[in-house]
Amino acid sequence: MKLFNNKSVYLLIPALLFLLLPLYGFFAAIVQSLSGGSGWTLEYYSSLFESSRFLSAIWFSIRTTLIATILSLIIGVLITRSFYPYLEHHVPRLLVWLPMLFPHFVWGYMIILLLSETGLAAQLLVEAGVITDSSAFPIWTRDPQGIGIIITYIWKEVPFVILMLLPVYSSIKPGYYDLVETLGGSKVRQFTAVEWPAIFPVLMEIALIVFSFTISAYEVPALMGTTFPEMISVLSYEWFYGSGWEDRPMAFAAMVSLSLLILAFSAAGFSILQKKRWRAMRGRSV
Amino acid sequence: MNHTLDVQHLSKQFNHDLILSDLAFQLEKGEILSIVGPSGSGKTTLLRILAGLETPSQGSIHMYGEEITFQKANQRDISLVFQQPLLFPHMTVQENIAYGAKLAGKKNKNKTSDLLKATGLDRFKNYFPSEISGGQQQRVALARAMATEPEIILFDEPFSSLDPKLRHQIRYWVRDFLVDQSITGVFVTHDTEEAMIMGDRLALFHEGSFQQIDEAEVIHKHPANSFVADFLGGHLIVDEQHYVPLKECSLEPFNEQEVRSYHGLLQHITFQNGQAVGHIFLKDLDHQVSLPIHEHVSGEEVTLYIKESSIRTFGGSAL
Amino acid sequence: MNVKKLIFILVALLLFVMPVLLLLLQSFSSPWRFQSGESFHFQLTSFQVLWPASNLWEATFWSVVVGAGVLLLNMVVGIAAGKALSTLSFKGKPLLEVLFLSPVLIPVLAVAMGLHLFMIQAGLADTVLGVILIHLVPTIPYSIRIFHNSYAQLGNRMLEQPIVLGAAPLQQLFTVELPLMKPAIRSVTFLTIVISLSQYAITSIIGGGRIVTLPMIFFPFLDTANTSVMAAFAVWFAMIPLAMYIIVEGLLLLLPYSRMPWRNTR
Repeated sequence: MKLFNNKSVYLLIPALLFLLLPLYGFFAAIVQSLSGGSGWTLEYYSSLFESSRFLSAIWFSIRTTLIATILSLIIGVLITRSFYPYLEHHVPRLLVWLPMLFPHFVWGYMIILLLSETGLAAQLLVEAGVITDSSAFPIWTRDPQGIGIIITYIWKEVPFVILMLLPVYSSIKPGYYDLVETLGGSKVRQFTAVEWPAIFPVLMEIALIVFSFTISAYEVPALMGTTFPEMISVLSYEWFYGSGWEDRPMAFAAMVSLSLLILAFSAAGFSILQKKRWRAMRGRSV
Repeated sequence: MNHTLDVQHLSKQFNHDLILSDLAFQLEKGEILSIVGPSGSGKTTLLRILAGLETPSQGSIHMYGEEITFQKANQRDISLVFQQPLLFPHMTVQENIAYGAKLAGKKNKNKTSDLLKATGLDRFKNYFPSEISGGQQQRVALARAMATEPEIILFDEPFSSLDPKLRHQIRYWVRDFLVDQSITGVFVTHDTEEAMIMGDRLALFHEGSFQQIDEAEVIHKHPANSFVADFLGGHLIVDEQHYVPLKECSLEPFNEQEVRSYHGLLQHITFQNGQAVGHIFLKDLDHQVSLPIHEHVSGEEVTLYIKESSIRTFGGSAL
Repeated sequence: MNVKKLIFILVALLLFVMPVLLLLLQSFSSPWRFQSGESFHFQLTSFQVLWPASNLWEATFWSVVVGAGVLLLNMVVGIAAGKALSTLSFKGKPLLEVLFLSPVLIPVLAVAMGLHLFMIQAGLADTVLGVILIHLVPTIPYSIRIFHNSYAQLGNRMLEQPIVLGAAPLQQLFTVELPLMKPAIRSVTFLTIVISLSQYAITSIIGGGRIVTLPMIFFPFLDTANTSVMAAFAVWFAMIPLAMYIIVEGLLLLLPYSRMPWRNTR
């Protein structure tokens, strides 16, 4: 029997052609990170993992990204589950998605406007007499802790989390809540028994998307970060575009390492999902 | 003369399952064939192949002598009405009906307004599908299929999503409508009564092929095999080859010599059209029959008598 | 109005509306120095500084060209793949779906760096086409997904109905599929344009400084312009997706069976 007796299969061609772009790009990056003057070499990776600059950058990136991702998810879930009946309406939904109209770095600039030492928040607090001088305002932008980066990403990703979660919450039948309640379940129980199984796979997917985007994006840390510690993307970009060509293989090695890290996270996420699905299936058959 | 539709040796295989095997039938102009059979037996697949939405594994389909087996669905002069009305929600009733004709470049205003009148939907022509009832939607779907003036219309259980009362009304309406417009039709259902109302002929479909095709009366009098007899009811199946019409069975002994009798259990009595009907389980045949009974039958144990001369052999009008 | 709704409105205003309002106000006033006793001062100077800046219009032009190209290709690839994924069923489909989403997980910076050499060899480096192609990487996975969902919601039976009534593939697309997928088209428009506008690093790598889009001049502006001008620039950024949205909405009205929003339906 023919595998496809449907002409729709030709419709996949543009998408498959498109896939060549990221796949070729990724493998070219791997090849260039491994090719030395003559033949294959691992020297860039060994010097990469001896470089304290790289190690601190990757640590800083993971830490900053994890905090931003987890907080975005928590805040997104809280807002969605508290307010999703209102979010079904047109105007409130448009309000929530307003931040999505702006690129990340423009939102970052808004954070600077609001929270920098000379920003609006500092000025208002001085006016209100809470702090005596704007220099007493904590340094939240371009700070070594990455607070500005984290705030920017959270603020920008929360609408995205809501956007992804909204259809899930809308599809949970109110009857389930009543069921748990009539069985004497608490509010916590309602969350763990009704909502969690429905949102968990979506949350995992959002987490992976937000994590891999945040850890590898260049624009926001370039705007909000300091020179040390720096995000891995900023470091790689600098190596790629630095003084000469000699640092380029390092940029490739750093980016490939980062990709492998993300792939490891994704694989872990998927395997958790699969395990859960498997358990759910086994539970049904018993 | 060529048949309007001529289907020969039609087979369809999905992976390793044979859905249709060596089907054949012919339709004449204006004839309506009802295909009846258990749910999930592949009736829908047959319609989808006739409509061109799927290709057969083997066999041929001819229309007026011209082969259309591999013609694309959108080029066939065959329309299909699905179970759900599937009206286009962004078009008004009128636009829905005119859709197919407009695509074909036949902008016939009269045809559309005739159909609107015939379906009694003139008043609703500027309504959107979401604003009319389920029965009205199904009528629009039918008018939409008619508007392209197809040679044949296929119906895939078009009333099964309607409630019983509406279903009864619309059956006769559609039947009269098709006869009136002399449309050739194939009507698929799992409901025997509906099949008899809608079709000139009945085709009993089971395990990928037709067990019998004929007029309802012929099939009733001469079922081709035990499946047909069992599916239609009305017969006591004695064994794989033999049956007895129920009306020749009796709970009273006959004054004849050659009589067969079966012990039965009266499980239930219901009333239909003012007549008491006993539902009797025959242990020896592992079979349940429903017989008109006198209400004064007492006790649970009954005996069913049949004359040996009443026993007939299947295959009276087999294909 | 109940308390919960009030809280929702407050949260929405504080988190999502206030920042945008802030940018708007700042763009229409001189830089705020409240502690030195200055009050809010309305002015249009920031736009008067921003607009004549020689490279702003050029960058806007390139951003729009790149954005429009990226959007067009996203529509074509997304609609085709979305339809195929929802109408076909074959063994490796779940794997293919993951594969189509995977570019979102690989750092686009790594892809751009890897493609750089190829782009030079293919003569695509420093060209609009090269920039459009690299912008496809972070956008198309979302578009495929959105259109896949949208087709799945329509259902295969609804897609077969126009075929049965004699519609050719393009007629099916324009008379039934596109009109019924307007929400998906709107989402893809917004998402694609905003993501394309957000790319500084990959535009700079593939565009080689020759294709100057808005982000490429936003960063240098930071060093020279005052807060009001920067706020005006930020507002300018939001104008592009809005303008694109209006254009797409206008194009959608050209689809068969569209009704003018103000026209009474009956």
